[in-house]
Amino acid sequence: MSTCCQDMTSRLKAAKEQTQDLIVKTTKLQAENQRLEVKAQVANAFLSKFQLTSEEMSTLRGTREGPVTESFFKALGRVKQIHNDVKILLRTNQQTAGLEIMEQMALLQETSYERLYRWAQSECRTLTQESCDISPVLTQAMEALQDRPVLYKYTLDEFGTARRNAVVRGFIDALTRGGPGGTPRPIEMYSHDPLRYVGDMLAWLHQATASEKEHLETLLKLVTMQGVEENIQEVLGHITEGVCRPLKVRIEQVIVSEPGAVLLYKISNLLKFYHHTNSGIVGNNANTLLTTIEEMHVLSKKMFFNNLSLHASKLMDKIELPPPDLGPTAALNQTLTLLREVLASHDSSVVPLDARQADFVQVLSCALDPLLQMCTVSASNLGTADMATYMVNCLYMMKTTLALFEFTDKRLEMLQFQIEAHLDTLVNEQASYVLTRAGLSYMYNCIQQHKPEQGPLVNIPSMDGASLKAAMVQFDSYLASPDSLLMLQLNYLLSATLKEHIFKQSTELVCRAYSELYAAVMNPANEYKEPGAILHRSPQQVKTLLS
Amino acid sequence: VKSRINNMYCMAVFTLNAKMATAPYNYSYIFKYIIIGDMGVGKSCLLHQFTEKKFMADCPHTIGVEFGTRIIEVSGQKIKLQIWDTAGQERFRAVTRSYYRGAAGALMVYDITRRSTYNHLSSWLTDARNLTNPNTVIILIGNKADLEAQRDVTYEEAKQFAEENGLLFLEASAKTGENVEDAFLEAAKKIYQNIQDGSLDLNAAESGVQHKPSAPQGGRLTSEPQPQREGCGC
Repeated sequence: MSTCCQDMTSRLKAAKEQTQDLIVKTTKLQAENQRLEVKAQVANAFLSKFQLTSEEMSTLRGTREGPVTESFFKALGRVKQIHNDVKILLRTNQQTAGLEIMEQMALLQETSYERLYRWAQSECRTLTQESCDISPVLTQAMEALQDRPVLYKYTLDEFGTARRNAVVRGFIDALTRGGPGGTPRPIEMYSHDPLRYVGDMLAWLHQATASEKEHLETLLKLVTMQGVEENIQEVLGHITEGVCRPLKVRIEQVIVSEPGAVLLYKISNLLKFYHHTNSGIVGNNANTLLTTIEEMHVLSKKMFFNNLSLHASKLMDKIELPPPDLGPTAALNQTLTLLREVLASHDSSVVPLDARQADFVQVLSCALDPLLQMCTVSASNLGTADMATYMVNCLYMMKTTLALFEFTDKRLEMLQFQIEAHLDTLVNEQASYVLTRAGLSYMYNCIQQHKPEQGPLVNIPSMDGASLKAAMVQFDSYLASPDSLLMLQLNYLLSATLKEHIFKQSTELVCRAYSELYAAVMNPANEYKEPGAILHRSPQQVKTLLS
Repeated sequence: VKSRINNMYCMAVFTLNAKMATAPYNYSYIFKYIIIGDMGVGKSCLLHQFTEKKFMADCPHTIGVEFGTRIIEVSGQKIKLQIWDTAGQERFRAVTRSYYRGAAGALMVYDITRRSTYNHLSSWLTDARNLTNPNTVIILIGNKADLEAQRDVTYEEAKQFAEENGLLFLEASAKTGENVEDAFLEAAKKIYQNIQDGSLDLNAAESGVQHKPSAPQGGRLTSEPQPQREGCGC
């Protein structure tokens, strides 16, 4: 029994000794297994975090010209994410792996971007129809490409070039082919009507520019980086650059074909309007279309002023003599008609107020100054009354023409001053005409020049009581019908109001002259006998009779 | 490897087409509209109400032309309306005339409280007929329908005028928004109908309609890849 137990114990001991090693080994292996499992998990987690799935890989690589889809952008986003996250690894002791992954991702990113760029580029190349279908995928592509400024810019350039061609073709079609069945008719059919022709071209371009801007805004609506607005303006400038030449050639043709001052002026206003309208769309940056329109505006304006100056110099070349009725000459009437038409077209023009005002000054000085000069020169050989009447008539015509328009106040004021100066002349002429005819002119002169040391007035030749009495008879007949003593010239005045004014003012002068004569005769120092019998009307009575 | 790439390619094409069928382009057509009519009838207010869904109380006079856009839906098709709002003042007539060209639809507006604006319609209609293409859809709109008390033009006579001249007709109010939506939609429906029955030729220049060629047409969904899209770009 004891030996049996002994034996068993020793055998157990032996077995224990034998398995001890195995157990230790198993435990070791188990631990190893666990450790490896964790490692595997870590490795998987690592891979899923830092590597792409095979699907993602294939989406990114695709074929060279294969389509780009939504999943492409997702995969691309992942690559970007991994590239960012891998930086954490670099801070740990896994630097080698980190660097490798980083390099791998960088490489993948570059090829993906390049593929995306090629796709977007070829996509843009197809956008040459008048209708421009920008797919959401292309919009997304632009969003992705903004991370690679060079590729982004090249794609935009490609887009711009395609659209530029489309716009040029559309413009030429509108010019030469028109709508379906010829309605609307091709714009060039209206080339005989310069304003319509130029207006239709500019309106077409305005609408095309607005549409192109919308296309660009759709294309870049997901782009978040700074300066998108500038991008749009820049590309828009490129797109609209193509039509500048055909536009310029046509407008120039219209301008140099001498359509006349009024049309030139209207065209110049139209160009100004479209410059303003288009700058609202393309912004104020350097833009070839805007520059072209501005150039054409400047040219048309220059031609317009040339035309006006030519007209003016023709006026000065052959100055007409004033007609017998002292009215305005044909040249004056014709120029005023032109001026009226120009100002009227300005009035209805679409140009903003301040620009209009600036133009007016120039137009007026270009047309009015030579006109004034012409009138002065042609009046220079006339007698005083004739000259004054003629000038008043001419100035009056100018004034009534200008009065219809805005911004002419200064000119009107100037004309008014000139008219008043000539009116003064006419008032004096009329007054002395009356005094001469009534025989009072000599006596009035004597009184004015008389000095007390010359002795009493009565002793001056022809100033005696009898002579005065005789003159008063004549003066009385004038008082009976004041209208009978009117200068012939006054009947030629175009304005009845001015004629009335001259009549009133001159009558007042006559009254004043009579008052002075009356005072002198009544003055005892002048030794008239019975002065009341010589001048039996008081100045007050004369005034009443004449008013 | 080659066959695998091919498979991938096919998958990619499939994905793209599915996407296109469910979410095609932002819109399938662009219709160009023009709004015409006397000064002060509320052309700009109609446009503003339509695009912003708001009434603009103190609307300044339009200088020349302005434009607005909105995407609408007709028979399940997304259509982008590009609307050119013209100035009613006579002095802008020379400028605004140039904008009729290539319009698919014209909204001819008068003010139901001012007979003179109604009386001028024939002159506007003459312009519209002469300056647009024969297929241009013209809709007559009597605006300010909210001012019933001041009405100067009856619904019946305007309706008759519209019928005699083959125009669509509605009374609307830019202030309350009544019928504004319909005014733009009715015209679009008619244009779309013209496209469907083939009387409007989309290929002709300046038809006023631009078609997005890749969008599904007439309810039929495209199943094959669009050659222009996937085709090689070189």
